[in-house]
Amino acid sequence: MKKYYLIARNTWDEILTYRTSFIMWRVRSIIQVLTIYFLWSVVIPPGKTFLGYSQSLITTYILGTLLLESMVLSSRSYIVGNEINSGNLMNFLIRPINYFSYWFSKDIGDKAMNICFSVVELTLIFLVLRPSLFIQTDPFYISFFILSVILAIFIYFFINFLLGLIGFWSPEIWAPRFIFITILGFFAGGLFPLDILPKTIYEIIRFLPFTYLMYFPIKTYLGQLSLFEILSGLSISAFWVFAIYFMVKAIWQKGLKSYTAYGK
Amino acid sequence: MGSRTGLVKYIKLWFMMTGMVSQNAFVSRFGAALFVLGKLIRFTFFLFFLLVITSRTQTIQGYTLWQVVLFYITFNLIDSVAQFFLREVYRFRNYVVSGNFDYFLTKPVPVLLRLLFGGSDVLDVPIIALSVGFIFVALSNIGSITTPDILVYFLLLINGFVIAMSFHILVLAIGILTTEVDNTLWLFRDLTQMGRFPIDIYKNPLRQIITFIIPVGVMVTFPAKAAMGLLSFNAFLISFLVGGMFLYFSMRFWKFSLKRYTSASS
Repeated sequence: MKKYYLIARNTWDEILTYRTSFIMWRVRSIIQVLTIYFLWSVVIPPGKTFLGYSQSLITTYILGTLLLESMVLSSRSYIVGNEINSGNLMNFLIRPINYFSYWFSKDIGDKAMNICFSVVELTLIFLVLRPSLFIQTDPFYISFFILSVILAIFIYFFINFLLGLIGFWSPEIWAPRFIFITILGFFAGGLFPLDILPKTIYEIIRFLPFTYLMYFPIKTYLGQLSLFEILSGLSISAFWVFAIYFMVKAIWQKGLKSYTAYGK
Repeated sequence: MGSRTGLVKYIKLWFMMTGMVSQNAFVSRFGAALFVLGKLIRFTFFLFFLLVITSRTQTIQGYTLWQVVLFYITFNLIDSVAQFFLREVYRFRNYVVSGNFDYFLTKPVPVLLRLLFGGSDVLDVPIIALSVGFIFVALSNIGSITTPDILVYFLLLINGFVIAMSFHILVLAIGILTTEVDNTLWLFRDLTQMGRFPIDIYKNPLRQIITFIIPVGVMVTFPAKAAMGLLSFNAFLISFLVGGMFLYFSMRFWKFSLKRYTSASS
């Protein structure tokens, strides 16, 4: 266990070594969130509601995505495909280390740093813009929110890993990831709450894993879901965690059999 | 006569370099197809998002659906044209840290021209064509647009591209001094993304900053406003002043940086 803790801590050191790069990345995240924040402030002025969202709810939703992005979407495991392509994977296969746990530890280190920064950023945004926010105090919703975030972290980790495994068969690993990021940008709910979409579209996308990365946890936090909706959402999340996990395991085994480490 | 021959020579050179870069892009046809598909998906999804919001609220900050669409498409066109022509800037860091930049300095081609236009990205062509088509659809749906409005719109689009190019020159200059290119470029991309919506949605002083200091507003919002007949003559003149000053400042900064290039990687 200690070695994985050290890997996570090492990731902190890596980030601190390339400080400018990381700070620029955070500045970019703030710009993206602020753009969407201002759009929604105009769409839902104070005192008005839009499809069940008051200004405080939508503001909490949009600013909440900044924190959730750090918790769920920040990762290092997107490099797995490169490691396979470059042959660097060989260095890990001969070491007494679990490759999945290695990358998960790196992800945790990355998330921890991003969370620290996003908390500071949110405090600054709050002090400067003074938005009206919704603070959830009901432990029922807070516990389900935490559970949904944990499941989201695993879903994202396994999807990321799965995309990296393309590297076993093709050097073209960035193009599929580009498509994935584009789809994620819309269907994870970072731009807008997914339930504003027409009902038929929402009914389809609520079965996709993307919905459970940001939209579902924030909706749970806002207390806008019934117990049945929360439980069915958590069941779908759990289903995706296991489904993608088994897919990754099977493809990983298949990939290793065809792996020639030609980069090294 | 001499300058025209020079221009023809550079255009030929641009075609040659774009041809070579395109061959590279199509080494993996599957990858190229996925990148184009990704760009088209992003474009369509965002239009759909605007449609969903505007169909439920009728207007955003007083702008109708087609006006909001025009703002977005204008942003998209300038962004895509800049990416198409100026893609070489994305490769600049590699040239500096590998020492290949020295090689460009010794060639009989203006180095800034080589770094800005040294190979366009053909994968942006479909999205540019789609944007141009949508601009005409949006303009015809907005209605009550006169020919002078359209003329002013296209003049301001050119001004917008000049501002985008100036940004890229600044990125190159910063790249020489710090070898930092990627993050600065992406920061620029994110700032311009603020222009996907009319800048009226932002509050002051942010609105003033992104209008005149980081002139995203002049680059993207002003052309669309001009097409709708909502831009004053003063604002029209100021746009070109801002564009000219931005280009002048970036060129000065480029020269300043180039003099400090140490060729450390060679």
